[in-house]
Amino acid sequence: MARHNLGTVISFEVTRTFKKKQFWLTTLLVPVVLGIVIALVVISNNSTASMVDSQKDAVLTFTYSDASGHIDPTIASAFGGTVAGDGAQAIADVKSGKSAAYFAYPAQPATEATMVYGADLGIFDNGKYSSIATGLMVASAQAEINDQTLTALAKGSFPVDSITYKDGAESGGVLGALAPLLFLLIFYVVIVMLGNQMLTSTLEEKENRVTEMILTTLNPTTLITGKIISLFIIGLVQMIVFILPVLIGYLFFRTALSLPDVDLSQLIVNPGQMVVGALLLIGGFTLFMGTLVAAGAIMPTAKEASQVFGIMMALVFVPLYAASLVVSDPSAPIVQIFTYFPYSAPVTAMLRNGLGSLSPVEAGIVIAELFILGGIVLRLAVQLFRYGSVEYSKKVSLRTVFARSRG
Amino acid sequence: MAAPRHGAEPLVQISNFRMDFGRTTVIRDLSFDINRGETFGFLGSNGSGKTTTIRALLGIYQATAGVLHINGRPFTPEDGATLGYLPEERGLYKKETVIDVMTYFGRLKGLSKAAAAHWSREYLERVALGDKAKVRLDKLSGGQQQKVQLGVTIMNDPELLILDEPTKGFDPVNRKLLMDIIEDQKRAGATVLMVTHQMEEVERLCDRVVLLKNGVVEAYGTVEAVQDQYGGTVVRLQCSGEIPASRHYTVTRRGSSYAELTVSGPVDEAVILRELMDAGVTVRGFTAGRPSLDDIFVAVYGDQNAGDTADTAAGE
Repeated sequence: MARHNLGTVISFEVTRTFKKKQFWLTTLLVPVVLGIVIALVVISNNSTASMVDSQKDAVLTFTYSDASGHIDPTIASAFGGTVAGDGAQAIADVKSGKSAAYFAYPAQPATEATMVYGADLGIFDNGKYSSIATGLMVASAQAEINDQTLTALAKGSFPVDSITYKDGAESGGVLGALAPLLFLLIFYVVIVMLGNQMLTSTLEEKENRVTEMILTTLNPTTLITGKIISLFIIGLVQMIVFILPVLIGYLFFRTALSLPDVDLSQLIVNPGQMVVGALLLIGGFTLFMGTLVAAGAIMPTAKEASQVFGIMMALVFVPLYAASLVVSDPSAPIVQIFTYFPYSAPVTAMLRNGLGSLSPVEAGIVIAELFILGGIVLRLAVQLFRYGSVEYSKKVSLRTVFARSRG
Repeated sequence: MAAPRHGAEPLVQISNFRMDFGRTTVIRDLSFDINRGETFGFLGSNGSGKTTTIRALLGIYQATAGVLHINGRPFTPEDGATLGYLPEERGLYKKETVIDVMTYFGRLKGLSKAAAAHWSREYLERVALGDKAKVRLDKLSGGQQQKVQLGVTIMNDPELLILDEPTKGFDPVNRKLLMDIIEDQKRAGATVLMVTHQMEEVERLCDRVVLLKNGVVEAYGTVEAVQDQYGGTVVRLQCSGEIPASRHYTVTRRGSSYAELTVSGPVDEAVILRELMDAGVTVRGFTAGRPSLDDIFVAVYGDQNAGDTADTAAGE
């Protein structure tokens, strides 16, 4: 009957959630907002592109003086520049509006500042003066070098491919980190989206005084397992709905959205890291969900339970404060503490697993810790629900619960 | 359920049950049986441990000591298909529709989805809620919600029906409905365990009762046996005039035209009647009988203020 009832609980929980208008309103709100943002970005980018096209051929006329001797007058002329006879007069002309801009190149432009004077065009458009001044000097320098290869090398625009080795084998670098870090992303999304629902899910039985009816027809383990699975299914549906506009945007409006063309075939998937990532995700999920259910079972109302949710969220995000240390020095004491402290372990260990700094021994210890503690907390949660949720209007202490369970 | 399931083997067995919550002892030593097919009254003042006993019987609490069996073994949720339980603290999923909630509980109690939905619709028609099947529970009145709760309690045709303060908060219409349902279940052979303070209901419905006081049994047996155990004959009078003091009786109730006398010892009722008439009392009506359970309840628990017993903190 337990398996039959597990199916019944999952079916009831999932169906009633999907039947609620509020669920779809809040779930669809995210893709709708994303859709609107994507549409606005596409429209904005299109109009910007049109504006750039229309202004592409418009040449800024300016005057300049060149103490360095590097500016090529022909190139300067092509840029719209004419030589200024007197610097002070050129500045005065800019002030009075007779001239759009005046650039004063110093004798040592590599060490001294090139002065740019121009009519105010607003904080964004004012930047084009220095761009043109720089562009003119670069173009003149390239002409002076008169060698395309040297020019490219001087600019640093040449390809570099890195191959690094770890324990004698080629390591993946950033492309190798992306796949296992996906588990970290899923963990955050699941905890943030479903955590509060998990906390309040068993409170519903308590607040509605259904607990005794439930406990005499259904094993509490079955109820809680059913609720966790239901929430996972609901969360999965929400994730798909959320991701859909992003996928559509990427597949059909990539250029308009200026999104990079990611070549997925370049991703490096290390099976070991993926297995460790999946185990850390499941272990961490079990621990956090068990803790939230346990908290919900002893709190009398959703309002009081929500305080616990705040603490849990803090625990999820705290390891990010040490993220730079996790990347640069995984053996630092604070990183080690975060790796092994149960509630910061999932995030820290998944991050280190993605970056390749989690050794197999460390991974084994953290996974074992998460599964063992997760199991204990889930059992405790069942116990708390069984004996704590009958105290309908009271905040129940652990002592009271154990007094009831021991008799 | 075709035939009543009366039999010698008790359906419920509680023996030497003890329940401590920390240092507080709620039940010291409780033993009683409930036979198959009988309706059993579990009586006691507020806080005497009745609900605690039921929760321990149903495995919600773990007993400190003793045996609590249903059908010869401890109850587990897997036996839920044979149980109908109306707890004192009651409610359902208020944000869901009536039919969804009833079908859900039907499924949990072992019915198929179609059977649970079919039974629910028939029941809702019977209790004049046929048009409310797809309405959310929190949109129903309190009385309508009670009817739904009753339906959920009996929808699996239970072998054992446990009703904890069943008429608490019920309006007279629903109270009558509940009584009819209990009668129906009795006729169908169900065993009924009732916790109630409504002594008229106990007298009307129950075959046997147990009275719990200070964590032990105060009285246990058939209603008549318990009535006999507690005092002699009670004389009820329709009368006017001053009732004199007498060694043959004590006046236990007195109204402007009504009096109730508890007879002391083996005295013939005719002697009392003559004594009253000789004292000038005009007697228009005279009946003699056993004391009511209400009288017994007052006599047993009169020295306790309701709810002030040791286990108040632990819940009933």
